[in-house]
Amino acid sequence: FFTPHIMGKRYSPPGKPTLTRCRSPEKETFTCWWEPGSDGGLPTTHALYYRKESSERVYECPDYHTAGENSCFFNKNDTSIWVNYNITVVATNTLGSAFSDPVDVDVVYIVKPNPPEKQTVTIMEDKGWPFLRVSWEPPQKADTRSGWITLIYELRVKLEEENEWEMHLAGHQKTFNIFSLRSGGKYLVEVRCKPDHGFWSEWSSTSYIKVPDYFHREKSVWIL
Amino acid sequence: CTNAHAGCHVLSLSNLFDRVIQHSARMHGISNDLHSEFEQYFLPSRNQIGRVSRNCHTSTILTPNGKENAQKMAREELTEVILKLLVAWRDPLWHFHHSMAHYDDFNNFSSNKALEMSDMVHELRKGVEKVAEKMQVLGITSNTVNSLTSPEALLPSESAEWRLMKDYDLLYCFRRDSNKVQNYLKILKCRIVPEHGC
Repeated sequence: FFTPHIMGKRYSPPGKPTLTRCRSPEKETFTCWWEPGSDGGLPTTHALYYRKESSERVYECPDYHTAGENSCFFNKNDTSIWVNYNITVVATNTLGSAFSDPVDVDVVYIVKPNPPEKQTVTIMEDKGWPFLRVSWEPPQKADTRSGWITLIYELRVKLEEENEWEMHLAGHQKTFNIFSLRSGGKYLVEVRCKPDHGFWSEWSSTSYIKVPDYFHREKSVWIL
Repeated sequence: CTNAHAGCHVLSLSNLFDRVIQHSARMHGISNDLHSEFEQYFLPSRNQIGRVSRNCHTSTILTPNGKENAQKMAREELTEVILKLLVAWRDPLWHFHHSMAHYDDFNNFSSNKALEMSDMVHELRKGVEKVAEKMQVLGITSNTVNSLTSPEALLPSESAEWRLMKDYDLLYCFRRDSNKVQNYLKILKCRIVPEHGC
């Protein structure tokens, strides 16, 4: 029986690829990623095929480029929601093919938005006591104005030298006040968002803000 | 409650929308919970679920499957789609609640949830009918929402097909449809009263 050997090296059909995850940032498009198995020492190509619920037709991935290597991007026209996509990745080299385990995806349940944007933190004052006002905007991609996607927000705040974050759920609000600040403390603030039935976004970039030394002023009054 | 009724507080359209949206969110939340409980209950003997046929009895109701399609639809049509979905679930959910009693080791809690869903779909339909009436009164929509005159006309032609469906499939379909209802209500609200939290 013949097995191809070149200079002592053994070639084989490709290993089984794995569909690792699918994600939609805004409920209008989505992307799936896979990890290739071994290439069997030969040039191996990967193709993604999908079949939509209650249809027998099998389609090939419409766009292998937009979302980078080992991915398939489905644009608005290729994305339906409340419809299951049965997705399989096939690895092929000259010696054969290997199929991933198929994955069923309904775009409604794979929404993970981008982090909130244009975050600002300002120091405000209430009767001589400072507080932080944090404001942000929804991620640009998520069309919250149309009602197609609704987001809730969460903040986390921490003094620079501390380890624990303090969490605050802001609900649908796009602004949040933080009281009881340490005089002269340097604070870190981050925000994230989540759709009704999806996943939390990553945290936004960190805002740093230094609270003025309001206690010194208070104290000096007290000493007098 | 009519306008003439003493002490009767008339809700604004955006208020009515908020109420039905909240209600639909709760309803979908319950169906979601129950669906995961069912999965846990059946998963040890996977063959009971097997390959879910997932042919929902409501699949004959044409529903927009993306943002742009939903936005393109006339307000009257979108309202009617919402009502059609709600009407189509009235009997199946009632039946589903009763069949829950047959699962001996399935807890009471879940059975109560099934009853709650069944009640909620009924109340939500009444709520959406109120919204629809209000939109007509305010001249936002024309008087072409059929459901208000004869809800039975909205039942899909194969409306008894659900009797052949397995409980798990019913739940699967309801989870999807209740999510649709919630989304369409939000789209409708943001088209009609965009200044209120959109």
